[in-house]
Amino acid sequence: MPSVSTGRSAQGVVAGLSKFRPLQTILAYDDFDEGLNGWTELTGNYRQDAMGVVPGHERFTDLRPPMLSSATFPFVGTHGSMSGIYSMKLATRAMAGRAEEEIRKGGFAQTLKRLTWQERGQVQFEMWFTYKPEADRPGIGEDEFRAFGVLWDLQDDEHRYFPAVRYLNAANGVVKQKWQFAQARKVSAEAWSGNQETSITEDRKSSWGAKPGVDPQWFGRRYPDGGTEGFRDIDKGHQRLCYNETIDKINWHYLRFLVDSRRREYVELQCNERTFDLRGVQPTLAPAYPRIWSLLNLALWVEADTNRRCFLFVDSAVISVGPSPSRAPRRKGMSR
Amino acid sequence: MKRVHTAVLERFGTFSEDFATEPYEAGWAEEAIFFVRVDAVEGANPTLSGQVQVSPDGIRWVDEGTRLPVVEQAGVTFTRVRHFGNWLRLAYRVSGGHARFHGTIYLCLKG
Repeated sequence: MPSVSTGRSAQGVVAGLSKFRPLQTILAYDDFDEGLNGWTELTGNYRQDAMGVVPGHERFTDLRPPMLSSATFPFVGTHGSMSGIYSMKLATRAMAGRAEEEIRKGGFAQTLKRLTWQERGQVQFEMWFTYKPEADRPGIGEDEFRAFGVLWDLQDDEHRYFPAVRYLNAANGVVKQKWQFAQARKVSAEAWSGNQETSITEDRKSSWGAKPGVDPQWFGRRYPDGGTEGFRDIDKGHQRLCYNETIDKINWHYLRFLVDSRRREYVELQCNERTFDLRGVQPTLAPAYPRIWSLLNLALWVEADTNRRCFLFVDSAVISVGPSPSRAPRRKGMSR
Repeated sequence: MKRVHTAVLERFGTFSEDFATEPYEAGWAEEAIFFVRVDAVEGANPTLSGQVQVSPDGIRWVDEGTRLPVVEQAGVTFTRVRHFGNWLRLAYRVSGGHARFHGTIYLCLKG
């Protein structure tokens, strides 16, 4: 049984879960009408000799705290969530660098939930979500919302790796509307992350700097078209989501992201009616880090493309796990 | 059991000019405390004054009437507010010669 907050009836849990397709064991079912349930802002690692952040993480000290949102807008008032009043809202500041620049502090927001795994197998994240820029000016802002993404941060006895998908909505004002998956180009650690100190002092010999593949949501060179050294386009990965015609009409979308931690492979991404077959695709494997054995973290992020705040709303989310199935023949192309 | 949540609105910030914290939705809560933790102060006769603001939409803001005690040195100060609707932020004014405040701002919500 999932861990259930007080205040939710068994009937409510069953009804809420029926809109998901979880694997065998549900580790978390978070309906944000009950609280943030362990979803927290990502912060960098801290120095051991002073109350501060290690140099390599100073850029990532303002990833913005998530909040419980009623989705309230100037014209329509409170929109509410898909079920109930509240969703989890991830909000950037009103700032952004150009797509080819490093992420700007505050223009990129990230939240995560931290777990550990009991056995390697399939792990799946599902959510009902929507997204918008802020309703603070005329214009629907469809070309001002750069991207949102879903990222697993996994570690076993040998490797740390980050299977992740990103919906690149717009870059430098040009609408893209396509899905990408994380797989780093073959670059040096210096090129990938600057190889600055990111770990605690006594670990520095084993994990100085972020190796290629680590934290692909911001490391790696970025390009004017929104591409990065950390992500590749999913084949036939263009998808027009339901943005709607005003800044305050929000439609809830379904997303399901499945990976296999036994094989260290992607499996598939589903968004609404489209399912993208990613079986056999391997994320970039980095050496294991000290102190994060059995890591099972799931992160969400949102990036602004202009000086307009961008929001990702999550009505509810499920993290589930199950055994790896025996190897099936790889399907050709994408299924609908 | 009540729900409680602390959001860090500014972390290791440097405040040298007038500013406001980012909009934060708090409609589920009945009471709020803004904590301002100042770690270091620079400049001549530096003062940091702040007041709570509310908003119907998170975009247009108006003073709620509650003020933060004036900050002149390192330490923790706070101010309490209730009956605030959905949106909260803290607007600041920094004065003094080359005044700079280094610190962290928390919003603690309960309801």
